[in-house]
Amino acid sequence: MSDVNRLRRLLFANYLSTFGVITVGIFVLLAFLEVVTFGRITPYGPYAANFQQTNVLPSLAHLFGTDFEGRDIFSQVIACLPVDIGIPIVVVLVSAVLGIILGTVAGYFRGWCDEVIMRVTDMFLAFPTIIMSLAIAATLGPSLLNATISLIFVWWPPYVRLVRGSVLEVAAEDFVSVSKALNSSFFYIMRKDAIPNVLPSVIVYATTDIGSALATLSTLGYLGIGIPPEMPELGKMVSSISYNLYTYPWQVIIPAVIVMVIVAGFSFLGEGLRESLDVKLRPHILLRSKPLEALEDSAKTSPASD
Amino acid sequence: MYHLNQPIQVQLYYFFSSYLSGNFGTDPQTGRSIASEVAFYLPNTLELVLASFLIVVVLGVGLGYLSGMRFSKKSDSAIRVFYLFTWSTPTFLGAIVAVLVFTSYVPIFPSGGMYSQSIVPPSTITGIFVLDSLIEGNIAAFASGIWHLILPAMALALLNFGIIARIMRSSVLDVRWSTHVKAARARGLTEGKVWSRHILRNALIDTNTMVAMMFGWLLSDTVIIEQVFAWPGIGQFGYQAIIADNYPVLVAVVLVFTAGVIVANFIADVAYCVLDPRITLGESA
Repeated sequence: MSDVNRLRRLLFANYLSTFGVITVGIFVLLAFLEVVTFGRITPYGPYAANFQQTNVLPSLAHLFGTDFEGRDIFSQVIACLPVDIGIPIVVVLVSAVLGIILGTVAGYFRGWCDEVIMRVTDMFLAFPTIIMSLAIAATLGPSLLNATISLIFVWWPPYVRLVRGSVLEVAAEDFVSVSKALNSSFFYIMRKDAIPNVLPSVIVYATTDIGSALATLSTLGYLGIGIPPEMPELGKMVSSISYNLYTYPWQVIIPAVIVMVIVAGFSFLGEGLRESLDVKLRPHILLRSKPLEALEDSAKTSPASD
Repeated sequence: MYHLNQPIQVQLYYFFSSYLSGNFGTDPQTGRSIASEVAFYLPNTLELVLASFLIVVVLGVGLGYLSGMRFSKKSDSAIRVFYLFTWSTPTFLGAIVAVLVFTSYVPIFPSGGMYSQSIVPPSTITGIFVLDSLIEGNIAAFASGIWHLILPAMALALLNFGIIARIMRSSVLDVRWSTHVKAARARGLTEGKVWSRHILRNALIDTNTMVAMMFGWLLSDTVIIEQVFAWPGIGQFGYQAIIADNYPVLVAVVLVFTAGVIVANFIADVAYCVLDPRITLGESA
């Protein structure tokens, strides 16, 4: 079976991932087109005011209606997509790479190296996500880079735990012992044995996580922190017209529902992938808990733990 | 407490020593001590978070368990789609919709605040409004407190229970076909006993970690929920500090949140021993 066929069977394996692939595909494509055409795919200019048509109900001419200045909400939503899909992907990618590097080092070398990395990770894990990224974004000042940094700051610790947990399991396997006995270098073992075994669970977790990152990013936007004023962002859009909530509820609800649909798309895709790849979700590896880990380590008669 | 004329490591020493002795400094905006302000706002947030925490645990464990029991039946799919969608809903959307529907279209709940203006608040005993009014026997204040609590607590809970339900479902699925369940059935235990003693209990072990993390997430989400529902809690206090660049207060608020997360995790670690007799505290396994 060719790779394309296998990928297609994987992505459309069940109704969860089918829904996820379609939703994510549409929004990522729209965001991509918006970027490469420099914003020419929106039916109206996202900020072109039209005072003859203010607060219009959703119709064929204005798919999502217009706001109090007659600006087309559909065009505004499209204009928001590059930021709202781009930043979460960057945040998750950087976190995953950080997690793979730190997690493999901690899981493979054990000892003091493991202790130091995991204690630092635990420390970061104790910070509550939203308030910490709010605090950092507010301290650094509004810019897209700072918003990304503030999210990465709270986003990487679960990846380290995830990768370390999987590497611990892989390192106990016979093929790693054989590889070690053949005097393979650390990088060779990582490249050939550890990372291919770790990657499925990281990919599954990261897919769902892009959605969570988007939810947090739009929360930053909603609270008006981190996103620069001239930058279109869905959460900011919601809060900027939220005083119209009682009179024109659709103006507020539609952008928020778009956020929900994108987040749901990513989490359905992740959930579906998890099911078809048969990756187990183990919260005690992902988050924190010494007892169960200790239990597992002792239950396993691992040749690697010398 | 800041000793700004000293080198930075000495400043750090003074900072930590005053924090450890409970002196969080003075709020530059109000001139009051930050510790007293935190002591005023924290119980309000605890009231909200504990109420929704209860709902989250009941809903999450209940629905996840049900979904695992009814694996690959229609009710399982329905529950899964429901929790995946509620969990994907951004907090501000849920809060806005709750306010819109239940205060405007079907006006049965108040739109914000902790109690009605006409109510005389009870004297501060624990600081938690609902508890204080109950202790004093002030039924009117208690009813008003509960009435104001329902909407924000439900909104907070419904938006967060999904992850618990998800973990619960997958742990039930892990356990229900394992050999020890088979053995329990072979010993002739009734189906009800197998499910309650052998499956539920084992499934709860994995869920326990998530429940502890949930406390931290609920605390985080209060930043938005308190904003929308005008709840005078520490989330709103922290948010006001952030937009005012009020760093002394911000540091104290982040510290309080982090302490809350650590306490919740500690309680979870203790709960492991109750749930799983194979684990003992203070002993290297």
